[in-house]
Amino acid sequence: MKIPTLTRVRGCVLIAVRGEHVEYFINALAENGVPVWDIEPKNGNLAEMKVLLRDFHALRPLLKRTGCRVHVQGRIGLPFTLVKLYKRKFFMVGIVLFFVLLFLLSSMVWNVRVTGNEKIATEDVLEAAKKEGVRPFKWIFRLDSPDKLSRELSIRLPGTSWIGVERKGTTITIQIVEAAEPPKQPLTDPRHLISRTDAVVTSIYAEQGRPLVEKNSRVKKGQVLISGILGVEGGNTQVVVAKGEVKGLVWHEYSLEVPLVQKHKVYTGERKTKSYFVIGDRAVQLWGYGKDPYQASETLTEHDPLTWRSLRLPVGWMTEKVMEVRESQETLTVEEAKKQGLDGAVRDILAKYGTDSQIISQKILHEKKENGKVYMKVLFEVEEKIAEELPIVHNQGE
Amino acid sequence: MAGISRRLRKWTNEMLDVPQDVLFDLPRITMVGNKELYIENHRGVRHFSPDKMVLSLSQGLLEIEGSGLMIRSILPEEVMIEGSVTNIKYTGTEESP
Repeated sequence: MKIPTLTRVRGCVLIAVRGEHVEYFINALAENGVPVWDIEPKNGNLAEMKVLLRDFHALRPLLKRTGCRVHVQGRIGLPFTLVKLYKRKFFMVGIVLFFVLLFLLSSMVWNVRVTGNEKIATEDVLEAAKKEGVRPFKWIFRLDSPDKLSRELSIRLPGTSWIGVERKGTTITIQIVEAAEPPKQPLTDPRHLISRTDAVVTSIYAEQGRPLVEKNSRVKKGQVLISGILGVEGGNTQVVVAKGEVKGLVWHEYSLEVPLVQKHKVYTGERKTKSYFVIGDRAVQLWGYGKDPYQASETLTEHDPLTWRSLRLPVGWMTEKVMEVRESQETLTVEEAKKQGLDGAVRDILAKYGTDSQIISQKILHEKKENGKVYMKVLFEVEEKIAEELPIVHNQGE
Repeated sequence: MAGISRRLRKWTNEMLDVPQDVLFDLPRITMVGNKELYIENHRGVRHFSPDKMVLSLSQGLLEIEGSGLMIRSILPEEVMIEGSVTNIKYTGTEESP
């Protein structure tokens, strides 16, 4: 019905009216258009009612006219609360201070996190960020915009391809994508390429530097093949790192001896397993009792202690495998022995001078059979890389 | 004159089928169960106590009996009464129109 709206905000008063004719007072209120509600009659010419705070002073003439007395029973609403709060100033100050503090503390950088860095140290990133003003206890509203920060940071931090700065609440996250750097080339001094051995050049390819020898020319050990000095002697010269590939024919002499009778150990496949239970450094045999039935044998021991996480417990298993071995003899013919010896020599050459070496020819210079062995002297003609590096030393006699 | 005016109004009422409270200045009483009582066209409060309430009307009185009666709100011509109503009685309207 016609109860005024927002009475709590506007403030209203609960009054008790006492008088001979409370009805008259109520009628007078209604006639004058004073909003009044919750009129409750009490015993003994008494009535409680609510009026707006605004109308309280307008009651006076009406009370006089109807001969009633008024007594304020309760004060309801915001205006009264405000007055109460005004009396408790420090409480109010506390509330305001709380919100101010909350606002201030939440507009401060509390955390700077760095993610995505592998090679660049987090400390370095934080140091760079500090120089840009990104550090804990800094006002957020005084920071530069994230775009600008990330740009500045990527200038400060070489070796990054992208840096993102993101603020979430009071935490600033610096995300780093590191640049994939090409593998560094080993630092090289200016150098010549010289010959490692006496040889005949079969091919020369200079990637950098000046070739000094030609194909089919004879070179001695230590002779410069590709020079690292460009330009005319005595004139304008430049020193570079000589690079290239030089191949040449080299002769290797091998003295070989191959026994005609060769002994091998061969496992027969017969074996026996013994199991032990191990406590501390003692082992209790559980299976595999009895004498080993083999004439010759080899024993393989496996200790398998119980582990918990990475801790080894002093309790575990041990197994022993006893495997029968038989010695077999093999008698080679002279041809087979020769072949075996030559194969061994070729393998040795490939291992020593590079796998791209090529055997051009092999000559058996000398061959004899004595004391069950074949003795041979073989000359190999091999095409292989002959270049070797020689650093150019400055101020040498110049 | 009064007789003529009253007859005219009665005739209008019959011809146009207008509610009586509009024409005759009669009270309109609305009741919700026995909890709420809503009276339009009253002429002020005569008596006022938790058990009995007397309202004056344009003609006669309206007595309301019950318990815990209270005026929820009041305006010059309207009043809303709450409480548990047991009895509503017209007095002073014996004279037929």
